[in-house]
Amino acid sequence: MAATTGFSWPESPLTERLRQEVERSVQRAFKGLELAGAPPPQVGRSPKTTLYRRGTLELVHYRAQMDEVYRIPLLIVMAPTNKGYILDLAPGQSFVEFLLQHGFDVYMVDWNAPTMMERDLQLEDYVLDFIPECIRRVQQHSGEADVNVVGYCAGGMLSVLYQALHADSPVRHLVCLTTPIDFSKMDLFRVMSDEGTFDVDGFVERYGVIPASVISAGFEALRPATKMAGQIKLWDNLWNDQFVKGFRRMERWGDETLPLPGGYFRQTVKRLLRENALFKGTLQLGGERIDLKKIRIPLLHMVAQYDHIVPAGASAPLIRQVGSQDKEEVVLPGGHVSIAAGANAVKRAWPKLGRWLEGRSV
Amino acid sequence: MTEPYFFDPLQLWRDAVSKLEKSTNERANAQLKAPGVARSLQDAATVSFGLQQAYAKLIENYLRQANLPSRKQIQDLAETLQRIEDKLDGLLPVAEGLQPSRTRRPPAAVAAAATATAEKTAARHSGGKARRTRGAGARKE
Repeated sequence: MAATTGFSWPESPLTERLRQEVERSVQRAFKGLELAGAPPPQVGRSPKTTLYRRGTLELVHYRAQMDEVYRIPLLIVMAPTNKGYILDLAPGQSFVEFLLQHGFDVYMVDWNAPTMMERDLQLEDYVLDFIPECIRRVQQHSGEADVNVVGYCAGGMLSVLYQALHADSPVRHLVCLTTPIDFSKMDLFRVMSDEGTFDVDGFVERYGVIPASVISAGFEALRPATKMAGQIKLWDNLWNDQFVKGFRRMERWGDETLPLPGGYFRQTVKRLLRENALFKGTLQLGGERIDLKKIRIPLLHMVAQYDHIVPAGASAPLIRQVGSQDKEEVVLPGGHVSIAAGANAVKRAWPKLGRWLEGRSV
Repeated sequence: MTEPYFFDPLQLWRDAVSKLEKSTNERANAQLKAPGVARSLQDAATVSFGLQQAYAKLIENYLRQANLPSRKQIQDLAETLQRIEDKLDGLLPVAEGLQPSRTRRPPAAVAAAATATAEKTAARHSGGKARRTRGAGARKE
């Protein structure tokens, strides 16, 4: 009718917006159905070789993408609570890929779910056995005596503990990403693990290996509304393929939180959260006191301004406490994961880290 | 350029969801810090885990009666297989392509070296020219 009379509705922003919304609604319906039967999103696709695997521990080497790499190999130490593929989510969204394309020779200490036989693993096993073993294997594989280390979250803490106990280690430079030191600033974790309300010994005794559901419930309790809001935002953006892909990768990573050995969990709760022993300088591993002043190698610490898991106040003391002369703290806007993945990481965190390391990797 | 203002209920709804998420998180965090709430949550978690364990025990008994393996037994079997795989992996030679050379320099250092070389070459050329000029002048003299 409109065509015959020559009449058409005026193109106002409101009609344009309504038309867009109707289109999106149709797409939501179709893509929602597709999503229901879709396989899990692919992650961790940079080509790699497993060099060593022992129970929960796995050391991988990523295949170099350049003909010429920096002399010093780079070992990434991941947090034992999560899979390392957060650092290799997808092409163009991968910290590992960024490093490979910038000429670094990249290795990663990744973790598998611990078995019941590993229920008694403690911080000592990680710091005095797993990390030194992986460093030895990186030296052997690369043929280089020196190694640089990047530790993410608890992986950063384990790297710091290792370096504090091995002043003459082959590690030449250390990069920590959102690494907790002062656990008194992690208010909510402390409340959840309070001695008066939580019987950690009984809990560890009962479970042996702490189920992943308990670990992820602890993380989710910090932002209880976020999961539900995330689902609403997913529905709202179902028409947007890029959003859905990114969301599903992050969702998969969150869902694949790892269980923790009871021994490690018990020490984290008692020594770190309740006693704040690392910050106070009273933490002992293998009979030796951890003194961060003994760390004298160049250190870069990247902190997230709005980190809700490791608040900036919990990670800030690292730079003050280490004995290094060459040390730098970089505070970036964003949250805990935005240092490692996402647009913020691509734009800010990775280039900064790459520039800091490149001159220190020859 | 700013978009012309018009009433957009969907955008209002999106903003409301974000605000609700933020305020709920803040309220929940504040409440979690109260010892009474923390204790109640721990109690609820303990009851929940206790129920889960009781249920698991019940299922285990049923599976034993039915002569079927439990999830734990299958997991134990998977762990045993994993350990065997680990040992086999250890026996296999690591097959990787040719290793790249470890001679890479930072782009800034490469650029500085290139500039220095270019300057040296330019200085040599201009020096040579000057010498040639001087030589020609001397011959003329």
